[in-house]
Amino acid sequence: MGTAGYLRCVAMFRLQGSKVLAVDMTGDAVKAKNGSMVAYDGQMAFKKMSGGGEGLRGMVTRRLTGEQMTVMEVKGHGTCWFADRASEINLVNLQGDKLYVESSNLLATDAGLRTGTSFTGMRGASQGNGLFTTTVEGHGQAAIMSDGPAVVLRVSSQYPLTVDPGAYVAHQGNLRQSFQSGVTFRTLMGEGGGEAFQIRFEGDGLVYVQPSERNTIAGDV
Amino acid sequence: MSPYGTPGGFGTPAGPTVFDPATLPCDDNVNAYTFCVELKGSQWFLQKGKMIAYYGSMEFNGVGHGRLDRLVRTSFHSPLHASDWVVAEGSGKMLLADRAFDVNSYDLEDGNLTIRSGNLLAFQPTLALKQSIVPGFLTLIGTGKFVAASNGPVVFMEPPIRVDPQALVGWADCPSPCHHYDHGYMTGVMGGLRALTGLGGASGEEHQFEFVGAGTVLLQSTETLLAEQATGAVPSGAGVPGAGGTHTSPSQTAGTQRLPGQLGDLQRRFGL
Amino acid sequence: MGFREINSRMVEATVVPGQKLFSQRGAMLAYKGDVSFTPNMAGGQGGIMSMIGRRVANEDTPLMAVEGSGTVLFGHGGHHVQVINLSGDTLCVEADRLLAFEGTLQQGTMFLGSQGGVMGMVRGQISGQGLFTTTLKGHGAVAVMAHGGVFEIPITPQRPVHVDPQAYVAHHGDVRNKLSTALGWRDMVGRGSGEAFQLELSGSGAVYVQASEEKL
Repeated sequence: MGTAGYLRCVAMFRLQGSKVLAVDMTGDAVKAKNGSMVAYDGQMAFKKMSGGGEGLRGMVTRRLTGEQMTVMEVKGHGTCWFADRASEINLVNLQGDKLYVESSNLLATDAGLRTGTSFTGMRGASQGNGLFTTTVEGHGQAAIMSDGPAVVLRVSSQYPLTVDPGAYVAHQGNLRQSFQSGVTFRTLMGEGGGEAFQIRFEGDGLVYVQPSERNTIAGDV
Repeated sequence: MSPYGTPGGFGTPAGPTVFDPATLPCDDNVNAYTFCVELKGSQWFLQKGKMIAYYGSMEFNGVGHGRLDRLVRTSFHSPLHASDWVVAEGSGKMLLADRAFDVNSYDLEDGNLTIRSGNLLAFQPTLALKQSIVPGFLTLIGTGKFVAASNGPVVFMEPPIRVDPQALVGWADCPSPCHHYDHGYMTGVMGGLRALTGLGGASGEEHQFEFVGAGTVLLQSTETLLAEQATGAVPSGAGVPGAGGTHTSPSQTAGTQRLPGQLGDLQRRFGL
Repeated sequence: MGFREINSRMVEATVVPGQKLFSQRGAMLAYKGDVSFTPNMAGGQGGIMSMIGRRVANEDTPLMAVEGSGTVLFGHGGHHVQVINLSGDTLCVEADRLLAFEGTLQQGTMFLGSQGGVMGMVRGQISGQGLFTTTLKGHGAVAVMAHGGVFEIPITPQRPVHVDPQAYVAHHGDVRNKLSTALGWRDMVGRGSGEAFQLELSGSGAVYVQASEEKL
C-alpha cells in the first residue's frame, strides 16, 4: 500500500479504526486542526499557523470572515495520531481538484495542499457558520470529520441532490448550489412553523453528508 | 464493506463508497447510522429534522396540512404531537439519520411495539401511532415498517428481566412493565441512615423497570437519553396516568426521580 | 467469568455466588436473576486512609459491589466499552473510566507524572487533569469506558509514546511515566494552559488512547 507516498515523501494518512487518523511521517509535515493530536511516537515539532489562508491576506480574510479555525503544523519522524471529539474521519484524495469543506470539519491535510476560504453565499449564513467555507486544493490527502460516518452521494446531470444544510459536510467537483424551501408547516393548531431551507446540488461531483444535523436557523425537515 | 478510503489509494478519485439513486438500498440501512427510504408515490411519516438528503422529487408537509386530514385520522392518533411530524410523499430516495445514533428498521406484522418517543424517527402510514399509557412512550400498532434510533445497537432480551429505566428503548407484545424497588436497600438501618445523611451513597440501582410475561424488551446502552419528544399532555380524567400535568418533563418521563440518598451526577463524579 | 462483549457499548457479566464484581454506580443496564447491588462503603480496598487519599486526589469513584447469581448487562452513557484482561500485571486507569471489574483484582492509587514531583502534582491540579489513577493488579477482567472507542499503542524501549492527557485512558506493563512537552507545543497552546504537557510513557507495555480529547 501506498509506496507512492514514500517515493513522493509525503506524509501517509491511514485510519486507525474510524475515528483516529494516524499519519506516518519521515521528516515531512502535515497541517492539522489545533489541539487534535492525541498521541505520537518518535520526534515531533508543533508550530501554530495563522489559519487556512496563507500569509497576511489569509489572515485578514479570516478576521473578516470570523472563521475561528486555527491550524498547527506538525513535522517530524514517527507516527502522530489525530482525533477530535470522537468524530468519524473520512479520507479524501485530491488530484488537482478542489474540496469545499466546513472549516470546523477539516481535521488534517498534506502540507503540500493549498487551503483557502471561499464565499458560500447563503448556506453559511443559514448554518451560523459564517459566510465562508474552507477550500482545499492540489494533489494529496485530506482528512475531513463528520458526526457519524459520512455518506458520499454522487451528483450527476440526471441525479440532482437535495441536502439538509445541517447534514452537509463537504463537496468536491463541479457543482452548482441553490436554495429551495423545504417543508410547509401548517399544523392543526395553525402554528405556522415557517419554512425550512434545503440546498440543491446540480452538476457533476460528490457531496458528503453526515448522519446528524447541526442546529441551523434554516428550520427542520 | 468499508465506507472509507484505503490508505494511499492515489489511483482512485475517492476512497469511500459513492452512492447514487441506483446503488442506494431500498428501505434499508446505508450504514449503521443512515437509513434509506424509497418513495414510489407512497407516503411516510417522519419526525422533523431527521431527513438529511434526498434524490428525486418529494414534498414535505406538516401533519396539520389540510390535504392530509384523512391520512392523519387513520394513522396519527397523537394530536399534540403533530407539530413534530411531517409527511413525506413523492418519488425518489431519501436518507434518514438522527444525531449519529444507530438507526434500525423494524417490521411489524399485525403486532404492536411501544417505544420511547425520542427514539422513533419514521413510520409507514399502514401503522397507527398512539400514545402509550406509560408517559414518554408511543405505541405502534398494525402492519408495516418503522425506523428508530438508539444509542448503540439495540439489544433484544426476553422477560423476566429488570431494566435500568434509562436503558429501556421499548417493548413488544405484552410483557407487563412495572416498577421494581430494591427494598433491601432502601429499608433497614443503613437505608435510613443514607436517607437522613446522604452518606454511604446509593448504588444508583435501587429502582428498575421489571418485565414479565411473553414478549421482547429492547435495550440500549445509555444514560444520556435521546431528547424526549413531548408526547403531549394526556386529557385529564380519573384513572389516566400522567393526566393533569402539561408536558411531561424528561426527568419525569424517564422515571428517574431521585430517591433519598441518591446523589446527583456532580457528587458522583467527585465521589461524595 | 470475565465480560462478554455484546456490542461496542455493552458487556455482559455472569455473576455466581462467591465471586464478587465491582461496577461504577449507574453502570447497570439490566439484569436477570437474583443479583444485588450494594454501595461499597469502604471505598474499595485499602480502608479509610486510602479513601481519604483518594478523596484528596478526586479519584474516588463510588463503586457498587455486585453479588448473587444471574447475568448483568453493563454500559454507561453510550460510551464505548473496552475489555482488558489482566494476567498478573498492573493496569493503570482513571477511576471515572472504570465501568466494571472482577473482585479478584486488587485496587490501589497512583499518581501519573510522578517524576515531576511536587511540581508535577501542581500541574495536574492546575490543568484539572486529575492524573491520579486507580491501579488494578492481579488476574481478572476489567471493562473500561472511553469516548469514541480506544486504540492501543504499543510501548517499546526504543519508542516512548507521548499522549495528550485528555485522551489518555489506561496503560499496562512495565512503564515509566512523566510529563513532558514537545517542541513548539507550549508556544502553541499558551504557557498558562493546562494542555501544555503530554504524558510520556516509556518502557514496555501498551497505552490505550481514546479518539477524543473529551474527558468522561
